[in-house]
Amino acid sequence: MKETTTAPGWLLVQRVAAIAILLGLWSLLIASGTMPSMLPGVIQIFSGIGEALTSSIFWAALSRTLLTALAGWAIASIIGVLFGLIIGSIKFLDRSTSILIDFGRSFPVLALMPVVIMLLGSNARMEIVVVSLSCLWPVLVQTIYGARRQEAAVADTVAVFKIPALLRFRRVLLPSALPFVATGVRISASIALLVAVGVEVISQAPGIGRQITLMQQAQRWDLAFAYLIFTGLVGWCLAVALQQVENRLLIWKRQEND
Amino acid sequence: MTSTTSILATRRGTVRKARPRSGDSFGRSLLRATWLIVVVLVAWWFLSANSTNFFIPSLEQILTTLGRDLANGVIVAGAIYSLTNLFVGLLIAAALGIILGLLLGELGWLRRIVDPIIHFFRSVPQAALVPMIIGVFGMGQGPKMGTIAFACMWPILLNTIDGVLGVEPTIRKFSKVYRIPRSLHFRKVVLPAALPQIVAGIRVALPIGITVMVVSEMFASIEGLGFYILNSSATFKVPETWAGALLVGVIGYVISLLFVLAERRLLRWYHASGSQ
Repeated sequence: MKETTTAPGWLLVQRVAAIAILLGLWSLLIASGTMPSMLPGVIQIFSGIGEALTSSIFWAALSRTLLTALAGWAIASIIGVLFGLIIGSIKFLDRSTSILIDFGRSFPVLALMPVVIMLLGSNARMEIVVVSLSCLWPVLVQTIYGARRQEAAVADTVAVFKIPALLRFRRVLLPSALPFVATGVRISASIALLVAVGVEVISQAPGIGRQITLMQQAQRWDLAFAYLIFTGLVGWCLAVALQQVENRLLIWKRQEND
Repeated sequence: MTSTTSILATRRGTVRKARPRSGDSFGRSLLRATWLIVVVLVAWWFLSANSTNFFIPSLEQILTTLGRDLANGVIVAGAIYSLTNLFVGLLIAAALGIILGLLLGELGWLRRIVDPIIHFFRSVPQAALVPMIIGVFGMGQGPKMGTIAFACMWPILLNTIDGVLGVEPTIRKFSKVYRIPRSLHFRKVVLPAALPQIVAGIRVALPIGITVMVVSEMFASIEGLGFYILNSSATFKVPETWAGALLVGVIGYVISLLFVLAERRLLRWYHASGSQ
């Protein structure tokens, strides 16, 4: 397996060709008539995307979804990092909470939706709660893991110099856990968007997920698919951007590892 | 990007492995691990006992309802329906993900070309697929399994690719030097070496599958656990709604526990070699 260095231009051409082949296959599938007639063709989806990009409803829905996702993600990140650092650095808490955290992590939060809707109603607040409940676990688990790994020399130094707890927290614990925290925070960003859309699909909360079901109920399949695909693109860009940020922020860590 | 899921998954694996096993007795460590659960449950029991809020039933009421519906078979029938969908979906996802992952892992040029496509599909919101697939293909069991399979396939695929890329170059050269036949090379060299990563990918896919399972039944179904929860809440049977949600959580936890046990057996050689 030697890494052949293809020219970036040629690779781009190949990638575009691959996407074209995929779209071609889709068209063929539609043309063959074996698929249900609701499934829109490639041209319809593209004109749907065009229509979506020029409609204010679409942008309003998308920004609502992004804002709720962002709010839930921020809350989850703050709570997750705080609790994670505390739990991870105290052995007793670490062992006591492990089953509870395992349980929470494997809990499909969207199943809890009807309960949350009963308690909070079908609104943005409910959506933020569900999003942050889902985003909390990756951050918490990663932070705990990061806080656990304390190098013996560092721990000794801290003890010998009697570093105050608050300073230790800020200057020792946080930096050493940071690479793990970053991974958790990044993963939960993708989760935030996915869950926000999911919440809107099931509940009546406004946003892009709601628009997708509305379009589908109105038999506008082209628009529904256009929204879905565009949301996927947004999520993809978000993931790529966050990866870049993480790589840049933690460049010291990477160098250290090499 | 490719390593997102695998990093999380493998680190989770290490988290579990790294738990210190000190010399104290089994009883004490069991106590230490479980006391908080007991406290939470007891607190919930007593705090909710005199609840006057219609939407917050007492834990006693929730558990009685759960017991009643478990006994009269309402939930069991739903659970069987749901779990069948989940397992068939996961099976399809694992088969496709592993086969494609092995192929893409070996064929570097193809992987580089389709890489953006894979990451795009992974970013499509799984829950939003539910209305589309069910709307187009109908309410039956097949479309639900298909949705679960589609959502679960990508983490397995990405992790398999990572696993294949992580195969020791020396081992690869050996296989080449001895002209190990292609199929044997896949089955006996690449697959076992990538197995820890593949298993980690399936573990990431598991909660995704459970979520999609519930959502697909909440969206359009007259059967299953998701339907039980949604139907209860729509008819204002509040304790049933809580009971259903709680049960799905417990099922999710039990499945992931069983999976970890199965993983330990399957990868015993791997963990053994790691601890040396």
